[in-house]
Amino acid sequence: MSHASHSPNMQFSNSMNSIEPAPVSNRLCIHCNTLIPKNRKDDFCCRGCATVYELLQVRGLDTYYELKKKGRSIRKAVPVDDEVENLEKNSFQYLDDPEFLRLYSTAASENPNSLLTGRSMQFYLDGVHCAACVWLTEKVSDFVEGVDSVRLDLANSVATVKLNTEGSFGIVAEEFARLGYRPHPVKQDTLHALKKRDERIMLVQLAVAGACTGNIMLLAVSLYSGLTGPLAEQFKWISFGLFLPVFLFSSIPFYRGAWGAIRTQQISIDIPIVLGILLGTAMSVANLINGSDHVYFDSLSALVFLLLSSRYVLRRAQQNALNASNLIHFLTPSIARKKNEEGLFEEISLNLLRTGDVVEVRAGECIPVDGIVQQGQSMLNCALLTGESQLQKIEPGQNVFAGTVNQQAPILVTVSESGSQTRLGQILHSMEENLNRRAPIVAFADRVSKSFVTTVLILVGLVFFGGFYLLGDWHETMNRALALAIVTCPCAFALATPLAMSSSIARCARSGILVKGGDVLEKLSQISAVYLDKTGTLTTGRFEVLKYTGDEQLLPIIYALESRSNHPVAQAIIRYLDPPETLPEVENFVETLGKGVAGTIQGDHYRIGRLKKAMSSPSSQKIEKQSSASPVETQIGIYRNEVLVAEIVLGDRIRTDSQEALEALRSLELNLKILSGDSSSAVHFTAEKLGIPLSDAVAEKTPEEKSEIISKDPKALMVGDGANDAVALASAYVSLAVHSGMEVSMRAADCCLFSPGVLPIHRLIVVSRETMKVIHRNFIFSLAYNIVGGIAAILGKVDPLFAAVLMPLSAFTVLISSMSGTAKLRKISNEGVIG
Amino acid sequence: MKVIYLMLPIALALGFGFVAAFIWITLRGQYDDLETPAHRILIPEDSLEASHIQVNHEELNQV
Repeated sequence: MSHASHSPNMQFSNSMNSIEPAPVSNRLCIHCNTLIPKNRKDDFCCRGCATVYELLQVRGLDTYYELKKKGRSIRKAVPVDDEVENLEKNSFQYLDDPEFLRLYSTAASENPNSLLTGRSMQFYLDGVHCAACVWLTEKVSDFVEGVDSVRLDLANSVATVKLNTEGSFGIVAEEFARLGYRPHPVKQDTLHALKKRDERIMLVQLAVAGACTGNIMLLAVSLYSGLTGPLAEQFKWISFGLFLPVFLFSSIPFYRGAWGAIRTQQISIDIPIVLGILLGTAMSVANLINGSDHVYFDSLSALVFLLLSSRYVLRRAQQNALNASNLIHFLTPSIARKKNEEGLFEEISLNLLRTGDVVEVRAGECIPVDGIVQQGQSMLNCALLTGESQLQKIEPGQNVFAGTVNQQAPILVTVSESGSQTRLGQILHSMEENLNRRAPIVAFADRVSKSFVTTVLILVGLVFFGGFYLLGDWHETMNRALALAIVTCPCAFALATPLAMSSSIARCARSGILVKGGDVLEKLSQISAVYLDKTGTLTTGRFEVLKYTGDEQLLPIIYALESRSNHPVAQAIIRYLDPPETLPEVENFVETLGKGVAGTIQGDHYRIGRLKKAMSSPSSQKIEKQSSASPVETQIGIYRNEVLVAEIVLGDRIRTDSQEALEALRSLELNLKILSGDSSSAVHFTAEKLGIPLSDAVAEKTPEEKSEIISKDPKALMVGDGANDAVALASAYVSLAVHSGMEVSMRAADCCLFSPGVLPIHRLIVVSRETMKVIHRNFIFSLAYNIVGGIAAILGKVDPLFAAVLMPLSAFTVLISSMSGTAKLRKISNEGVIG
Repeated sequence: MKVIYLMLPIALALGFGFVAAFIWITLRGQYDDLETPAHRILIPEDSLEASHIQVNHEELNQV
């Protein structure tokens, strides 16, 4: 195995660089068309792009660049990860493990006539974005032996690889990685297949409803305009025939929804819809047989078609938001490097690990298990698990937990717990419990429709019997009851909520916010307090240079010294500095753990280490406190011949937009609170900087305590990122996970952000409030229509035919009202669109 | 107006022929991916033919 050749440079992963971009020139990278950083001399933005370019030239695949010019990009091209340079051979070997194949691949049994009896596997590919990417990835089948075909689904970034019996998924994946598309195998569960089937059937139902409605309406036009005689009779029967597929097939989703609601003794909007459909159908059929003029097949099928379309649009909008995200990214299987009997490391699936096994965790990797460090010293980032912003030093004998990130040097860990038994696993478990326990909110629409439906039913009954008693005319009574039932058919009513919700969810998706359902918007519009996590939410959650005081001339020297170390502090400094044009020669380089680095440059002795003056005299510490230093910051001094010449302050930086975001939230009259697992000094420091009263800044809370606090507040929005927030996210009234959070928190939260920072929260809340306004407007309109129409029907001023013409008209008005939204809604969603 | 007894069935048959075709291709999965085909059409045909470039993996690692 080649793990021994592992280079420490690999820690400088691309994701780290992309947040804080270096100054750029105005030239574009040949490979990915992004701006090239100033300090690069060639035509590429990074080493990764250069490596891939070279490979394509060598293989004669430069058609890629011609195709790239012709095609349109569906998403922004991103620079190739620098890791492509250090790609090790066989690093995807685990893909061909029989256990793995069983879970992740499917046998091509669909076509038994085919001789290609191989298996297929799906990969999520990072960075595919245009026609050239389609060409390049599908070309892989030409130059890797044993590959039958590769098909790329560009919108979802998913490639399906089909192998001959001889092929290897490991080699294909390696090939993708070499071409600059990092592959992540996608698990092919039955749920996914079912969802796909569902979607296809939904589309067919919509198509059938559409085609039938169109035809019925054509026939209805002649009936409305006064067609009589045998032809009219025949037309009615044909409409009935055309209505049958809508009634028996396209309306199935409503029957299912209504039945489900009745069985669980809940009220859903599906119940009045089904009632309307059944009642309308029964009356129309009765009239058809009696030879009366009043059949309403056109209105009924139009109702079904409109409702199905709005649901389909809603689903597509949510799907697109999911695709645009990198959520699938996190589905990457968990692999651990286990030491086997011969003392070599092999990659195995996480769930095969047993207590007592020894695993290797390289720098920059997430620790996969709970265990005890056996060998190696390093620094640990626990931010995602506990919320602590300071790095922790670890040495042999110490406990480490799954979900923390090893920052500095490779370590060996003896497994004590793995999988669901780990601390992370327990958090996951209690998060899922909380998610299940959360009481479903009775949506406004359902509350209204419940009383609405009851009222209508009682009224129809009253008119029917009371009318007969008062008027004594059976025919007239029947007509009035019919007109009332049709005029109050909850058509506009049923459309009011889903249409407004789906257009708002689509608006959110366009500006990088995933909202997981319509009820989330309603809850968001009601909140009175926002609880924010600190580390990773209000702050960037990683070590960064905050301030440099000293001579510019010293920078190359600092760079030369720190680039030899892989201490997290050194890495943060390197990230901050531009690489100098000429690197000064370093002699006698020494790195002492905990003390820093030292070396001789141009005859002078330089040392970079923890700043001493703040520690030594209490008076200067006081002064420091007044200026900029805080308990969350680390101060580094640069000493020339043991004389202090420059200072660097590092810490967990508050995001640039946090202040602005909190101001915006305050303007919405929301209570802002910090809820963190970090030390109280760090939390108070952040609270003070952001103007949050210390009484509202709660620190040193375990995930469970956080959850308890949040569940006591009935109208709270929880905002967080890490595993330590997941339980609180699940138990909050409504919750939101910020960008680059953990999978756990994204799964627990009701909405997720796909751009860094907390600024979009303001937009989301405004959108939710405006959406509720639109919904209320729709309700008022359709209620007014129903009341006026209903009274007119009771008084006998409206005949059933006229009511049937009015019904689609009212639905259409609701449609227009929902699509146009409010002026504020249009304004705010145009602001936030990300390209 | 007799002609309507000829036209109506033809019109309906025509319409439902297309509905049937739509159902068929939907269930075969042609509407699963609406994005990629629009891009794939840009790729010249000759570059899709299997030219079968053999790649030696040992060599690749030196690139």
